[in-house]
Amino acid sequence: MTAEPYAAAAGLVERSAAAYASAVPVAPEDDGFFGPASVTWRVSADLSAPVAGLRSLLLQALHPLAMAGVDQHSDWRTDPVGRLAATSAYEVTVTFGDKESAKRVARRVRAVHTRVRGVDTVTGRPYAAGDPALLLWVHAALVDSGLAASALFGTPLTDAEADAYVAEMTVAAELLGVPPEMIPDSVATLERYIADVRPELRRTPAAAESMGYLLDPPGLDEDVAELWQDIRDAAVTALPGWARQMYGYPEPPPLTAARRTEIRQALGVLDAVFLAEPGVLEARQRLAVRVRSAGKA
Amino acid sequence: MKYTKLAIVVALSGASIAGLAVARRRTARPGGGSLRVERGLTALRLAARGGARYASNAPRLFASAGEHREALRNDLALQTAEDVAATLGTMKGVLMKLGQMASYVDDGLSPAARRTLSRLQDSVPPMSPELAAQVITEELGQPPERAFATWDPEPIAAASIGQVHRAITLDGRAVAVKVQYPGIAETIEADLGNVGLLRRMLKITAPSQDVDALLAELRERVTEELDYRREARNQQMFADYYRGHPTIAVPEIVAELSTRRVVTSDLADGARFAELASWSQAERDLAAETIYRFVFRSLYEAHAFNGDPHPGNYLFHGGGRVTFLDFGLVKYFTADELRPLVEMVKHLCVQNDPEAFRRAMEDAGFLMPDAPLPTDMIVEHMAVFYDTVRERGPRTMTGAYASAVTRRFFDFRSPLAAYVQIPRSYVILQRINLGLFALLGELSATADWRCIAEEIWPFVQGPACTPTGAAEAAWRARRTGAGTRTVRSN
Repeated sequence: MTAEPYAAAAGLVERSAAAYASAVPVAPEDDGFFGPASVTWRVSADLSAPVAGLRSLLLQALHPLAMAGVDQHSDWRTDPVGRLAATSAYEVTVTFGDKESAKRVARRVRAVHTRVRGVDTVTGRPYAAGDPALLLWVHAALVDSGLAASALFGTPLTDAEADAYVAEMTVAAELLGVPPEMIPDSVATLERYIADVRPELRRTPAAAESMGYLLDPPGLDEDVAELWQDIRDAAVTALPGWARQMYGYPEPPPLTAARRTEIRQALGVLDAVFLAEPGVLEARQRLAVRVRSAGKA
Repeated sequence: MKYTKLAIVVALSGASIAGLAVARRRTARPGGGSLRVERGLTALRLAARGGARYASNAPRLFASAGEHREALRNDLALQTAEDVAATLGTMKGVLMKLGQMASYVDDGLSPAARRTLSRLQDSVPPMSPELAAQVITEELGQPPERAFATWDPEPIAAASIGQVHRAITLDGRAVAVKVQYPGIAETIEADLGNVGLLRRMLKITAPSQDVDALLAELRERVTEELDYRREARNQQMFADYYRGHPTIAVPEIVAELSTRRVVTSDLADGARFAELASWSQAERDLAAETIYRFVFRSLYEAHAFNGDPHPGNYLFHGGGRVTFLDFGLVKYFTADELRPLVEMVKHLCVQNDPEAFRRAMEDAGFLMPDAPLPTDMIVEHMAVFYDTVRERGPRTMTGAYASAVTRRFFDFRSPLAAYVQIPRSYVILQRINLGLFALLGELSATADWRCIAEEIWPFVQGPACTPTGAAEAAWRARRTGAGTRTVRSN
């Protein structure tokens, strides 16, 4: 297989910010599938969200068929930054958009998925992006990462809130075509599901290559690159030990309070950089106003 | 060969801020002769980017007219200490401080970036009236409507770590009450306590003891600034010193209504710096003269330096009368610290003795003792800093001059760079000088600066050379006659 080299990651912050700013609705028809009082909104807006995002990509890539789909079909190599921005726009719309907008973007993704099929060169197994099993793994990695990142680096959830988050998020998987009965709806069932899938997971060359790229993206602005080191270390620290072992990452030192603070500071600075991009502050304020008024109700 | 040479300057500004600027030089390619000078630093660039947002958003949000603005302001107002921590924690408060400093000293930033940075603080929502009242209650022991005869729950101005309310005291004084965001001191101290990230963000590769000294200085200054009691003491000292001055006014502190998180002073009104731009050049010249006199009178006689020549810290009344606000960062000098500075200016500008000037630089620690450099090169390099006071005659401060001074200050390509440094106790002075030149340059102020300096220089004490100078001389005569105590320096 002749793989194209990855394009540089310049513009990562700018394009993610633009995607975010335009995906947060201005005049939503309704509160969407979650709403301002949901745990999901809180987790999405948590300081630790970039760590959650990176950790979830690291986990998702360990599924050979999911990774093959991305590697063989998407524009991931030629425009990784655009791919990430599009993914984050999708997540933002599903989370904060009204129901109709969420359904619309989900329909579009499902349509794309029907064309993504092939054979994984590593395992020799056929795959289809619309396969509920693959969709569910991607979903579970995301939800599990929201829990892990906020627990370590953000505002931790109570056990009840964590269960609520997993339950709330089932609708996101349903929107992409996963049958409801397959979707874990509590922390316990989520953990059980992940344990069940583990035997299928492995680090394929494509996973190693693309995650190597993500952990050290070339072409980042110097200042953002500096911060990225902390985000990356945080994501690796937040991974389950078995996932780190699959990648061959060294076991990180125990997370001291000082190191946690430092990572939170890096996240804070990254957030300030993100906020500096056009429209981001306004989008945040649109959400803040909705959360505030929900709190009063 | 690739090497990085670093020069560090701590910059500390007052109203609210302290910051660091780091400049380093780098040989880009061997033999290419191409040297890239990088000014500023990661944190400042980040802060500058942060500034861009406020240019587009803040005015729309908090300065737009009408009901919508009030609604948004109320909706987004900081309601709890947790809101404060979420808004200004995890480095954002620290970045804001760095950004404020950058807003008037780093010529690597565009004017637009500097302006937006100076507005950074506008973007932080105000405290809700309830939260501000809660701080007053905690600090003064009773709610604002009992602590004051009249209390305006709407803040009239933002301060970087607080906001200003108008009030009338129980005995009828109109006052400005600065109220600190609850929890902000702890938040910023915590962020500064963990220096790992700052260290890396500042890309400090200097010897570690320098870095530690630098970060210690930053922490110390910011910590001082977080305690309003110190600011109140500083301001009262300046108010005492300048009481009765013909053109310099400093609002008096109301001590019994000032605490760690609340500082109450007489309410002052006047034109803002931006308005001054529309005044006649003659008025601007007079205002500039007063600022200049204030800075150097305070330094040479009170041995105190108000650390913040920020445009927001002045109110103008016409006829050269200026009210000076915000004494959050004041640096006091000992006689020993001041002496070498006096020697330098004396030998260069008055006695014209380059060798003695060089020795004074060495004594002050600015220049390494055995630098293999000819003295005339050193004089040539340093002269730009004294350009406005080397000769008599009217001179116009321009933005170009201010930039030239700043560029020279940060010129690490110069052969001197390896031998010149700024001792920690003078860092603030140098920085404020740059800020002062920038401010006067913005006013295109013309005066015989040398003549005014001669009035103030303790080794000259020349006669008054302007009407303001004459009025000031009369004031000084009255002070001395009245046996006014001299100001302590601590």
